[in-house]
Amino acid sequence: MRVKRWQVASRYTVLIVVMLVTALPFVWAMLMSVRQTSANVFGRNRPPEVFAYPGLMGWGEGADTAEDEGRYRAEDGWWTNYAPRFERALEPTPLAPYTFPATTENYYRVTQDIAIGRYFVNSLLVCLGTVLLTLLLCSLAAYPLAKMRFAGRDVLFVVILSTLVFPEQLILIPLYVTAVNTFQFQDTYHGLILPFAASGLGIFLLRQVYYSIPDELLEAARIDGATEFSIWWRILLPLIRPGLATLAIITFVSSWNNFLWPLLMLTDTELFTLPVGLAYLRGFFSGNIRNVAAGIVIATVPVIVVFMIFQKQFIEGLAGAVKG
Amino acid sequence: MAIQSKPLPVKPTTRSVFKRRKRVAAYAFLAPALGFLTVFFFLPLVQVIYYSFTDFDLYGASWVGVSNYRNLLADPLFWMSLRKSFVYLICTPILIVLSLTLAIVVNRPLKGVAFFRAMYFMPAVISAVAIGMIFELVFAEQGLLNGVLRELGVIRRPIAFLQDPALVLPSIMGVTIWRGVGYYMVMFLAGLQAIPKERYEAASIDGANTLQQHWYITVPGVRPIIVLVGVLSSIAALRAFDEIFILTDGTGGILNSGLTAMFYLYRQAFVFNNVGYASALAVVFSLVIIVFTIVNLRLGGNDAR
Repeated sequence: MRVKRWQVASRYTVLIVVMLVTALPFVWAMLMSVRQTSANVFGRNRPPEVFAYPGLMGWGEGADTAEDEGRYRAEDGWWTNYAPRFERALEPTPLAPYTFPATTENYYRVTQDIAIGRYFVNSLLVCLGTVLLTLLLCSLAAYPLAKMRFAGRDVLFVVILSTLVFPEQLILIPLYVTAVNTFQFQDTYHGLILPFAASGLGIFLLRQVYYSIPDELLEAARIDGATEFSIWWRILLPLIRPGLATLAIITFVSSWNNFLWPLLMLTDTELFTLPVGLAYLRGFFSGNIRNVAAGIVIATVPVIVVFMIFQKQFIEGLAGAVKG
Repeated sequence: MAIQSKPLPVKPTTRSVFKRRKRVAAYAFLAPALGFLTVFFFLPLVQVIYYSFTDFDLYGASWVGVSNYRNLLADPLFWMSLRKSFVYLICTPILIVLSLTLAIVVNRPLKGVAFFRAMYFMPAVISAVAIGMIFELVFAEQGLLNGVLRELGVIRRPIAFLQDPALVLPSIMGVTIWRGVGYYMVMFLAGLQAIPKERYEAASIDGANTLQQHWYITVPGVRPIIVLVGVLSSIAALRAFDEIFILTDGTGGILNSGLTAMFYLYRQAFVFNNVGYASALAVVFSLVIIVFTIVNLRLGGNDAR
C-alpha cells in the first residue's frame, strides 16, 4: 500500500502536536526555573518572553553584587552577569523582544535551603528495598501456585487474588494505626517498604510466567536430586527474568511515585522521599514560584534521563504485562 | 487432597517422597508472602470493619454500633464527595478514546515513532506530586495556559482554573487525563500488535475506509484491553489523591470543590482524626468501587462474547 507524501506529513503533524501538549508543561517549568525577575513571561502589549539568553550565571553567594557590578569572585561564590553583553548583541535583531536573561540563582537557592539530594537518596533506597523484597516474595510465592500440587492451592490463589479487588483506601486507616501503634514505622525506611512488599498483582503476574516453563525441566531436575529451593534459584529464576523485569518496573514506578503513605509516615525532613520533599519545598518557597520551578526541574530531570535510557524496557515491560 | 487422607506407606516410594517434600516446600515458598499479606492486608481489612463500628480516634475506641454509618448517610458532604468521585470517572471514557487513538497513530511504521511513543509515556514515570506542581505553574493566573489563550485572543481576562469552584475539579481531571494517556496508550499498543494485519488488508480490498476499518476491526480486536483500561483507569480515578492534594493546597479546594470521596476519607481520618467515621466511609466507598468494578467487568465480558 503506497502512502502519499501529504499523509506522511499530516501524521507527523499529529505526532508533533501531541508531543507539544506532553512536553510544554515541562518546558514551562524549566522556563520559570531560570527566570531572573518576577516579571511575567506573558505581558500586555508586548510579545511573550520565551527565549532565554545567559544572564546572571554562577554558583554560591554574591549574586546580587554581580548583578550590579557585573562580576563576583570570592571563596563563597562565583558569578558573572552576561546579560548586558547579550542584550547589546540581540538589540538589533527582531528576536530581541522575545528574549529574557536566564540565571542559575534559583537552582542555587533551592539546593541551599532544601536537601533535595538527600530526598533523592531516600527515594532511591526505599524504591530499591521495595523492588527487591517484592521480587523475592512474589517469585517465591508464585512458584508453588504455578508448578506444584498441594492441598488448598486454589483457595490460596483466590485469597491472594482477592487483594486486587479491595481498593487500597479501605485498608489505609488500620494500616496507619498499626504502623504507628504496633510497629513504630514512623520515620523509618522499612516503614515505607514493608507494607508494599507483597503484591497480589506481582504473584499473579509471575504465576503466569512460571506456567510457560515446561514441567519436564523441573521433573528432570528433581530426579537429579535437586531441592525445590535450588530448582527455584538455579533453574527458574534465570528463566523468568523478563517477567521479573516487568514486575520490577511496575513496582519501581509505583514506589517512586508513592506520596500519601510517606506523607503520613514521615515527619523528619532528613527522611523525606522525593514526592514528600517536593510538597514540602512547595510550601517552603510558597511565595517564589521560580524556586519551586527549579526544585521541580531538579527532581524530574534525572527521572526523565533514566527513563529515556531505559524507555524500551519500560514500554515493553508494561506491554508484556498486558499481553500476559 | 488425596495425599492428605492417605496414610503414609511404611516404605515410601520415590514418587510419594517427592510429593510430600513438594507439599512442605509449597507452603514454605508461600509463607513469606502470605505473612506479609496477612499483616499488611487481611488484618487491616478486618480491623477497618471493626473500627467502623467504634468511635476510634487513635487513642481509644468504644463500640457505637451503626451510628457511624447512620451519620455518614445523613452527611451531605459525604454524598457530595461521592458525586464528585463519580464526576471524576468521566476521565475513564476520555482516556480510553484518547489513548486508543494515540496508540493507532503511533502503531504506524513511521521513522522516529519510537521516540514519540517514549515522549508520550514519560508523564507516567514522573510522580503525580511533581506533575501537580508543574500544572500549578501552568494553571496560574500568569501561567502557560492563560498566557497562550490570551495571545491567541481566546480570552481577555485570565481564567482562575484553581480558584473558581466550578473549574477546580475539571482542571484536576485534565491533569489526570494528561498523565494517563501515554500509559494506557502503551497497553493498547500491546493489543493492537496482536491483531493480524491481513484483516485490514481484506477490509481495504472490500472498500472500507480507515475509520470503518478501525471501528470494525481495531475496536473489537482490542476489546479486552478496553475493559482492562476501563477498570484500571476508573479505579485510579476513584482513588486519585496526589493531584488533588497539590492543586488544592491540601485543602480539598475552595468550597470543597475538589473534595472527592478519597479526599474526604483522608480529611476525616488524618486531619480530623475521626478514625471510626472515616472507616465507615472507607467501607461504604469501597463497596461502591467493588460493585462498580464488577458491573464494569460483567458488561465488558458479556460484550466480548
